[in-house]
Amino acid sequence: MGVFEFMIKRKKPTPGELAKERLKVVLVHDRLKLNPELLELIRAELLTVVSRRLEVEEQQVEISLAREDGYDKLLANIPIKRQKVKFEWDPPSHTSNEVLRGKVRIEETEAEA
Amino acid sequence: MDSRIITITSGKGGVGKTTTTANLSTALAMQGKKVVAVDSDIGLRNLDAVLGLENRIVYDLVDVVEGQCRLRQALIKDKRLPDLYLLPAAQTRDKNAVNSVQMEQLCQQLRQEFDFVIIDSPAGIEQGFRNAIVGADEIVIVANPEMASVRDADRIIGLVEAAGKPEPRLILNRLRPEMVRRGDMMDVADVIEVLGIDLIGIVPEDEAIIVATNKGEPAVYDKRSRAGRAFLNAAQRLLGEEVPLDEVEDVPSFMERLRRLMGMGPATHEKRVRSQSS
Repeated sequence: MGVFEFMIKRKKPTPGELAKERLKVVLVHDRLKLNPELLELIRAELLTVVSRRLEVEEQQVEISLAREDGYDKLLANIPIKRQKVKFEWDPPSHTSNEVLRGKVRIEETEAEA
Repeated sequence: MDSRIITITSGKGGVGKTTTTANLSTALAMQGKKVVAVDSDIGLRNLDAVLGLENRIVYDLVDVVEGQCRLRQALIKDKRLPDLYLLPAAQTRDKNAVNSVQMEQLCQQLRQEFDFVIIDSPAGIEQGFRNAIVGADEIVIVANPEMASVRDADRIIGLVEAAGKPEPRLILNRLRPEMVRRGDMMDVADVIEVLGIDLIGIVPEDEAIIVATNKGEPAVYDKRSRAGRAFLNAAQRLLGEEVPLDEVEDVPSFMERLRRLMGMGPATHEKRVRSQSS
């Protein structure tokens, strides 16, 4: 039985774990008074801003709320298609691997210019 | 006098506020503290019955507030403990019969007379709840390890904070260790992680609570009741004593008890709240 229990546990969370996870999400929504409509608005606005610099997979963008490490967090999962434009102030020779992987923070790049 | 006013609240109904109030008040009075249990659930009087004092009520909280009687006349002395008193709720009035100012004045009056003022709050977050916390020095939230109760508890934490009160503490009531072991119920650590407040009691589900309520004799009198012992422990913690949180530990097996009796087994080991984070 012990072995089986272990295998089942891996497959799906127990009702207790499920309750905890659902609670975490619902509490973040409650605390921030965020409804799905508002979240959708944030998603759209985020996309507008990010799309200015990067081409993203709009259909696969996920915005969610979660509680981690003692903070209520807004989690944005934004898959990037590819680099849209080369930054004029950033000659190709200096483009770091991080930029190519889309991990660079825009403010930093601008500050360097 | 260095007295403490503690409000027992929960948001959700039916999680054990009145039971907790009755048991904590009784436990504190057993320790020789002068205690008054206040039923602020106006219109839905219940604390009197849980304490077994239902047929002694002449005046109630609303009468005191409205000046129909003096405070002393409305206070009901407990049957068993000389230092325990009850201030019952009105049964025929509604929640709005008392306002926050009156309630705060009442609390100040009670503070003169008692070491502990334990206020049983009504369910909900309306005026009745606000009245219950307005005069409180400390708030104790009662929650059950299930979604609706924990969610409401979180809401209460926010409202208590907004009211400028210190961070509330938690009594986790009606925990079912067997269900936790099977993974069918949230564990103590889960609830603590979600709510992020300090724990002062874990009370296992116990049929003795219903028996105790039927008799009008709080479970803390029943030495065999696990819930009763858990409430005694919670009262000790309220008094600032260090009591290990081992309420939901398994009942030792016959052999284990035998070994302990003979001084061979592991000494009563302290088991802190399990903190397994996934």
